[in-house]
Amino acid sequence: MDEDLFYWQAVNIALDRAMEEDPDVFVMGEDVGLYGGTYRATENLMAKYGELRVRDTPISENSFTGLGVGAAMTGLRPVIEIMTVNFALLALDSIVNLAAKIPFMSGGQFPVPLTIRMPGGVAKQLGAQHSQRLEHTLMNVPGLRIAVPFTPQDAYGQLRQAIRSDDPIIVLEHDLLYFSKGAVDLDAKAPPMHRAIVRRPGTDITCAAYSLMVAEALAAAETLKESGISMEVIDLRSLSPIDWNCLQQSVEKTHHMIIAEEDSGFAGAGAELAATVQERCFYSLDAPVSRVAGMNIPIPFNAALESAAIPHAADIVLAARKMLLERSQTS
Amino acid sequence: MDHERLQGFLYDMLLARAFEERAAQEYTQGHIAGFLHLYPGEEAVAVGSIRAAEPSDYIVSTYREHVHALIRDIEPKKIMAELYGKSTGVSRGMGGSMHLFDKERRFMGGYAIVGETFPIAAGIGYSILYRHLPEVVLCYFGDGAVNQGTFHESLNMAALWKLPVLFICENNHYQIGTEIHRHSAVVDVYKRAASYAIPAEQVDGMDVEQVYAHTHSALDRIRAGGGPYLLEFQTYRYRGHSMADPGAYRPPAEVRAFGGQDPILLATRELARHNPPSKSAQASDPAMDVIQQHIDKGFAAGHWQEEDVATMKAQIQQILDEAVAFAQSSPSLTMDDAVFLANQNHAHEVLF
Amino acid sequence: MKHPILMPVLSDTMATGRLTQWVKSIGAKVSKGDAVAEVETDKAVLEVEAFSDGYLAGPLAPVDQDIPVKQVIGYLADTAEEAASAGQTAPADPAPASEAPPVSPPPKPSLPAEPFPTPPVAAEPSPAAPAEPVPVPQAFPGGPSEGHAASPYARALAFDLGIDMAQVVPGPDGKVQAPEIVAALIAPAQPPLNYGPPYRLEAPTKSREAVARTMMAASATPSFRVTARLPIRELQHQAASRQVSLTVALSKACAFTIQAYPRFNAVWTNGGLALRDRIDVGIAVEAQDSLITPVLRDAGGKSLADLQSAWKDLLSQTKSARLGPKDYSGATFYLSNLGVYPVVRQFDAVVPLGASAILAVAAMDSDGSAECTLTCDHRVVFGADAAHFLTHLASQLATPDSLW
Repeated sequence: MDEDLFYWQAVNIALDRAMEEDPDVFVMGEDVGLYGGTYRATENLMAKYGELRVRDTPISENSFTGLGVGAAMTGLRPVIEIMTVNFALLALDSIVNLAAKIPFMSGGQFPVPLTIRMPGGVAKQLGAQHSQRLEHTLMNVPGLRIAVPFTPQDAYGQLRQAIRSDDPIIVLEHDLLYFSKGAVDLDAKAPPMHRAIVRRPGTDITCAAYSLMVAEALAAAETLKESGISMEVIDLRSLSPIDWNCLQQSVEKTHHMIIAEEDSGFAGAGAELAATVQERCFYSLDAPVSRVAGMNIPIPFNAALESAAIPHAADIVLAARKMLLERSQTS
Repeated sequence: MDHERLQGFLYDMLLARAFEERAAQEYTQGHIAGFLHLYPGEEAVAVGSIRAAEPSDYIVSTYREHVHALIRDIEPKKIMAELYGKSTGVSRGMGGSMHLFDKERRFMGGYAIVGETFPIAAGIGYSILYRHLPEVVLCYFGDGAVNQGTFHESLNMAALWKLPVLFICENNHYQIGTEIHRHSAVVDVYKRAASYAIPAEQVDGMDVEQVYAHTHSALDRIRAGGGPYLLEFQTYRYRGHSMADPGAYRPPAEVRAFGGQDPILLATRELARHNPPSKSAQASDPAMDVIQQHIDKGFAAGHWQEEDVATMKAQIQQILDEAVAFAQSSPSLTMDDAVFLANQNHAHEVLF
Repeated sequence: MKHPILMPVLSDTMATGRLTQWVKSIGAKVSKGDAVAEVETDKAVLEVEAFSDGYLAGPLAPVDQDIPVKQVIGYLADTAEEAASAGQTAPADPAPASEAPPVSPPPKPSLPAEPFPTPPVAAEPSPAAPAEPVPVPQAFPGGPSEGHAASPYARALAFDLGIDMAQVVPGPDGKVQAPEIVAALIAPAQPPLNYGPPYRLEAPTKSREAVARTMMAASATPSFRVTARLPIRELQHQAASRQVSLTVALSKACAFTIQAYPRFNAVWTNGGLALRDRIDVGIAVEAQDSLITPVLRDAGGKSLADLQSAWKDLLSQTKSARLGPKDYSGATFYLSNLGVYPVVRQFDAVVPLGASAILAVAAMDSDGSAECTLTCDHRVVFGADAAHFLTHLASQLATPDSLW
């Protein structure tokens, strides 16, 4: 059953189906109920499942996230929505000290089957406080798994998998993806949640990206084709764990790697990717791994500066050309 | 109160005190390490409140939780083994002193970040509500925790949704080294519950019978659908905050007064033993050791004799010797154990 | 104000140039179009022209070093004072001390007696200037390429393929990556020198490097050889009497033969046979310790007198190292004549890329014939074609009247 759906619709259907199938699944967060979610992801769920299972919360990110942990310890499967990743900074204690630690510290007695969804990234002029990403911080927390769905199909499939999993899982959605559209097969057997997918095969250079940046990478690959450069685009889909085998196979074939990330490059997700690829593929690399990343500044409000602070397809093209075609003494 | 229950309280408190003293001994001898927060002085709170709960009720505790676990009937040897970081510990050696978990006994963990017990308890409460069960969560915290955001956030949600949570404040008047008047604008913790329309009481936490009675009635009320409740137990810890803390910030007279170590007070107590106080003298004497007070009352009421207490102590000594021997002889953990635990919830998946 | 002088781009393949000398000294007045320096490229020594009037100013780039194209090598100042004050940094190699304007380039002498002398019959002025040593070649005490940065993959590839990193020529950015290893792989094997006698390394001239490269490229051509005795006495006789070089006359004879067998004017390409409609004959000559092939354009169409005149120009340019790519590229057939050495009875030559065949002419014997070997690209022509070619050429040489 293939349907063209908006990303938010895919999330909405995933939640609806999960709640329909499993009475232990409930949704909680700011404005997820009557309002239907700021990106419509929980639209109509309260009417269908009632207030106990679709709970509007006070603005208390740390405590309602911690409440989700407590509920998960007793066997429920909460899906917490944190309105934006920027607010998740207030919930870090519950995410890092509770959700990620309890399964381990309890000697395995208390799994925490908790899913936390949070939109983030740079949208359109939301200002420095509302234009952040949190993957770098969360990736550094053992015990968490992080899914970064790019397509509506993955938004559906990976969320279903996250809810079914007994691990605490963070699903990072991107503000600008909610109104992207794509074919969704609701009954397709999804690949494992953490498996990377080659979105476009290529032979000369590997570009690893995730979330919205996959779109930029695909556009860059199309441009590079005109210069005779064949770029393989890998959609990581998961930032913890990371599908190293997929990256390794690709780099062993292309010998060149670019990492595209919207986040500021300093100590970002790309740093982990570059370091590990270098460890695993050192003897296959014909050039230093290149990170195409956001600048190391808070995201500016001004539209032109905002756009210039984060990478676009053209930046990926430039990096690829520099790596492959324009080797010069200045490089 | 019946004889058996009072004897049980006595046994519980003697076990609690002896266990903590033994833990301190093991610590100073270098057998166990890390943070070790001990409970002496506060025994009446854990004993009275947990004995008032049903086995189906949940306990969420702090990092000073050895005694809560003991009173929840977790075997002393499994707690001692946990302090030793052995695989036979109650948390498989992965938690340590501050993180005792026992799923079977609904002991939902000790938490080492002040204020974390509130949202966890609220979540378990939500789960009970979700399933319409006649269960309650006992949520422990100290006076230092009430200035964390989670206290206010969680009490608000608990009241809003009528969650079956009994908030139990063990007010020992100190957040580590800062006395309550220096950390709280309102020193009566129970008054804060009024902000969230949660009924609350302040109770003498040095009197195990009062602790029991007030907890019992609060639990009944919650179980009947009355929503959350808050009990503030006034208590005192005789030792420093942890093994590393000499407690030098407290005036010696205060410690002596609360610990029953003041020679004059001790003499008074001796006198009292031979001249039982009248029935009207109900309030506990803060100047008297919390356990000694209970013993004395038992003597006075004819519940037990000196020999009974001695027998109990000997019995407990035996249990603790065995617990330490068990902990010491338990196999050490390997990194494989840790890696297995870290991955066990997705063991069916291959995560590279 | 100072205006930079850049290392010029003098051919499509030129990535670096070697400054052989500054022909003006610092402070010298320069007019637009004057040569200020000489640069050796992969093919020739060429002048660096001034693009405006001014005074040469330092710092000047050192001579005898490879310099990437478009890099600043010196300056032109608007005033003499500026030129004098600027560039106190002494160039690595002092510019000529002469104050006098235009110093003629010092001769870059050819070495005598090399495999491809011009035929003596042509009576060109012999370049027998006293043999001066060529500019002292740079020695590389540490061995070439040692210490170039290399990518891990390049190193791993070199290890797997058994390539000595010291022998790998780095890329344009000075670093060794996989393409450079592949280049080294298909490059000829390096001779083992480690246990032999002590040696010093002499940097090859650009021209010698270019010859080495084109010969390697040509070695992939599947070729065969056919040898015939061809009567050349009559041609030599007629040519001498008309003041025409025997080589030029031979070229014309070959061109006529090619007209009869036009397949010899074709070349194999990936897209198919390229059939050319003009016959340009390249002739191997020695030059500056190397080999170059000036091209006689339209050898079939032009008169022998015109050809002789063109040849004379080409030779003089060769001697002064002024030959440009348009002069030595694009031949469709080649000729190599060692007839000046009586001891040479027979030899064969390598078919350069771009041609179908090359004719190697040995010394004439007492019968008036010479052993001539035609080396052919077997993708273009076959044995019988070569036999026909040589038969036709033999009759052409026996009765050369039609050439005039």
